[in-house]
Amino acid sequence: MRSLLILLSLLVTSPAFAADSLDLAPLKKWITRQSDVRTVQADFTQTRSFKALKDPLASPGHIYFSAPQSFRWEVGNPAKTVVLRKGDSAYLIQPTKKRAQRLAAAELGQPGGTNSLPMMNFPLAKNFEDFNRQFQVQAISVEGTHCHVELQPRDQQTQKFLDVLKMDFDTATGYLIAFEVRTRDGSMMRNDFSNVRFNAKLDAGVFDYDLTGYEVVDAKN
Amino acid sequence: MFHLPRVWKIAAGAALLACVVLGFSRISFNVDILRLLPTGLRQVQGLSRFLKYFSQPDELIVTVEAPDAQAAEKAADEIAAKLGGMTGEVKRAVARPPWEKNPAQLTELLAFLAINQPPADVQSLVARVSPEQAKATLQATLEKLSDSVSPQEIGLLSYDPYDLAGPLAATALASGAQQSEFASADGTFHLIYVQAAKPFDNYQDAGKWIEQIHRATAPWQGRNGCKLGFTGEPAFVASISSSMQSDMQSSGIVTLLIIALIFWVCYRRGWPLLELQGMLLLIFVLTLAIAGLFFDQLTVIGVGCAAIMIGLCVDYGYFIYQRSQRHTGSLRELQTQCLSYIVWTAGTTAAAFFALNVSSLPGLSQLGNLVGIGVIVGAVVMLTVFAPLTLRRHQRVGGHTASGVERLVTSEGFNRVGAWLTLAMVAGFLGTLAVKGLPKTDFSAKPLQPRRSEAYTALDRISEKLLNGEGEPLSLVVEGDSVETVRARLVAAETQLAAAQKRGEIRSFRTALMLWPNAANQQANLPVLRSLVEHLPRLKQSVLDAGFTAEAFTLTENVLRQIAAWSDKPAPIWPDNDASRWILRRLAKQADGKWHALGFAQPVAGREEALDQAVTGEGIYLTGWPLLTTELRHVIPREFAGAMIGIAVVVLGLLALAFREVRALAIFVGATALVFVCLLGAMSLLGLKWNVFNLAALLLLLGTGTDYSILLLLALRRNHGDVSAARREISLVVCLCACSASAGFGTISWANHAGLASLGQTCALGLLIDAAISVFLIPPAWAWLHRQLSGDGFR
Repeated sequence: MRSLLILLSLLVTSPAFAADSLDLAPLKKWITRQSDVRTVQADFTQTRSFKALKDPLASPGHIYFSAPQSFRWEVGNPAKTVVLRKGDSAYLIQPTKKRAQRLAAAELGQPGGTNSLPMMNFPLAKNFEDFNRQFQVQAISVEGTHCHVELQPRDQQTQKFLDVLKMDFDTATGYLIAFEVRTRDGSMMRNDFSNVRFNAKLDAGVFDYDLTGYEVVDAKN
Repeated sequence: MFHLPRVWKIAAGAALLACVVLGFSRISFNVDILRLLPTGLRQVQGLSRFLKYFSQPDELIVTVEAPDAQAAEKAADEIAAKLGGMTGEVKRAVARPPWEKNPAQLTELLAFLAINQPPADVQSLVARVSPEQAKATLQATLEKLSDSVSPQEIGLLSYDPYDLAGPLAATALASGAQQSEFASADGTFHLIYVQAAKPFDNYQDAGKWIEQIHRATAPWQGRNGCKLGFTGEPAFVASISSSMQSDMQSSGIVTLLIIALIFWVCYRRGWPLLELQGMLLLIFVLTLAIAGLFFDQLTVIGVGCAAIMIGLCVDYGYFIYQRSQRHTGSLRELQTQCLSYIVWTAGTTAAAFFALNVSSLPGLSQLGNLVGIGVIVGAVVMLTVFAPLTLRRHQRVGGHTASGVERLVTSEGFNRVGAWLTLAMVAGFLGTLAVKGLPKTDFSAKPLQPRRSEAYTALDRISEKLLNGEGEPLSLVVEGDSVETVRARLVAAETQLAAAQKRGEIRSFRTALMLWPNAANQQANLPVLRSLVEHLPRLKQSVLDAGFTAEAFTLTENVLRQIAAWSDKPAPIWPDNDASRWILRRLAKQADGKWHALGFAQPVAGREEALDQAVTGEGIYLTGWPLLTTELRHVIPREFAGAMIGIAVVVLGLLALAFREVRALAIFVGATALVFVCLLGAMSLLGLKWNVFNLAALLLLLGTGTDYSILLLLALRRNHGDVSAARREISLVVCLCACSASAGFGTISWANHAGLASLGQTCALGLLIDAAISVFLIPPAWAWLHRQLSGDGFR
């Protein structure tokens, strides 16, 4: 039913086709480099623009990652939404509502997932084969050390909603600069990253969250 | 004996002809496999309702599979367009949800869901859009749009700023609807639903229509690696019916040919062979016509009757032919001599087949009745028609000279070698039993299905690709006299399902409850929601003031206008536009004066049995093959065991009267027990499994196979224990009978219906074992036992 309701707001357009030959070397190098990353912390500004909204909505946020599977994503200042993953457990926490949803950790950020966005799949892929299995590269361009990549998810259900994923990174530092999701109805969600730090020591408690007094429920997938 | 005045003969012939015409005109095939199963079982009742009310008899499903998603999608769209253009044959061909081209069609469904929800939720909605709270509601929506991490929530809220659909989307039905009924997640597998322009009159009609679809779609088969499959009700009906017809024809014809070959090898006489074949055809026609008077539809199991009855009835022909060769008296004397033998064998055989009626499997009961009738008809035809013919021919041709085969069968050497080989066979089967154990059992749905079926192959592929290999879900069928009764039962069923989910017995479930009208809620909500139409200008202005575009308000406006349009309609209200009808066609149905609703539950593997009792109640059926096979596993063996004991008691009682001595009875019991043990060993050796159909072989062997030992024992008694004389009298006939009956059962071993084929294999195997033990081991056993008991004994 939910998928039916969503279709109310979506129009289907013909799928784009991949460019014939692309130089994927910078992308492969960047993905390979991700395997050396043990921790990540960064600030970001999330901008969401909708066809049904006159002006875009912007919110600040932070991201923390520690290999192999610890992850914290929070939006708002103070945080209004926190997505937290530690090992096999994951939660979607709404501090203002004192509410938390237990998520299926393995499905976090996966294409077609109902409780998370594609940018929460961090790192994006284990290796290039894994990346290639999930995405088709539509375009890639490099200007100086700035690489811009446009992707289409291979999952057909996801393709019905998502038109294109855009990603910008620095080929010299390996830092992610921006991540953008465009949906088929013309809406857009973009994260511009700043203060990116690799392999810096993280506060041990950053991946813990005290849920005392919270209503904790299982998310419906 | 059997002499009637001419006028009576003509009258009887005319009556018979009328019966034949009437009987044949009534017969048709029924491919419903549930017709083969006990109708008293709750699982069968549930599955029958599911198929009756929710299968789509005129809808063919075309599957399109390609190496990549784009090729599959393109082919599916092209095929749908091509088929949709065949206006004379196809009503519609759908490769995408009807609302995908026109999402606005779902507005009606959303309006329906809105009026159907609890009045308290509607009050909450009315409060959300009130002049006091509208601004705060829109602000909350903007915050959600800014913070939410759910793509669905983000996608919907921007077009639903007052969150009309939010509470509805969070319901149980929404949680289980991620799978598509049109394409697999990877997009390489697509389905096209093709509805015939008009209902089919019969299976030939369906077959011709499917042929047209095959031809129309042929250009896409193999193009860009595309593979097409065809399934759905018309495909099942056409393919199973035609395979039933071909099974019946081919097994009957092959049996006739084998019988002809056996007869020719033994007797090398042309005319008697033709006469015998003519008798068998007559028996078949008469039996089918008589059966047509009682059964209007033949099941897939019933079609096996042709080969079996031919294989059995020819026994009486052999017997009469063999006796007539030496007969020097009148026809009446020949008929009287043959009568006692034929009554014995036909009586026990018919009794065994009629005993299949104690089984609650209607398919087997039908097979039993058909063969039982056939055997009686066969005995009458052979005695009254074949006996005069064959005697007249013998009297004209002259004295009997034993054929080479007859001399061989009665020779000492042949019987000695045969006895040793039979002993070796017995030892081999007993050894196999000791090493490999008893044959395994298979009470799954497999024996109920055809062995080769394009429709089943395509269905399996759908299950694999669209259900993500999770296995077939269980179906929940809820029925009641009124919409409200069904709704109350759906609520009860959902409560039970939720409890089962908590106990870890099912992974997920969804029912039609969400889409089932709640008349009370609708009556309470309609006036409240209709009043909101008057506030549309204010609501729209608030949306614009909050920063949304005019487009963001379209859905809200359309939903409220749809609700206003329903305000004069009496409850219960059903949504009825194209999109709603498409969704409801598999969820709700009014037929036979009742309402029916559907649901699904995905069981946790190995926990299905617990569900049978956990989800139950008046008009509530949780059904599926796993539950059915569990029920069958309990019921069928118990039934057959009871029938076996019953038949064994009757046969032993009759034989006690006939033999009037314990020794003959002991030999009979010993030989029969040995046959069954050897059959178990042979099945174990060949990897054959017991299922609900071939369990009947035990009953049939008790009725049919035992004829051989009875004939041998009767001949031994008639000849005062003279083994050679008894062998001269009966060995050849028993060999011929066993070969013919095995041929009859053997030819259905290749039947397309797996259960029928397994019954044929098991019976053919059992009969051959039975014949070998009867012919080669009973005479020496008789002689040895009599020597032991009487000192000198008979020769």
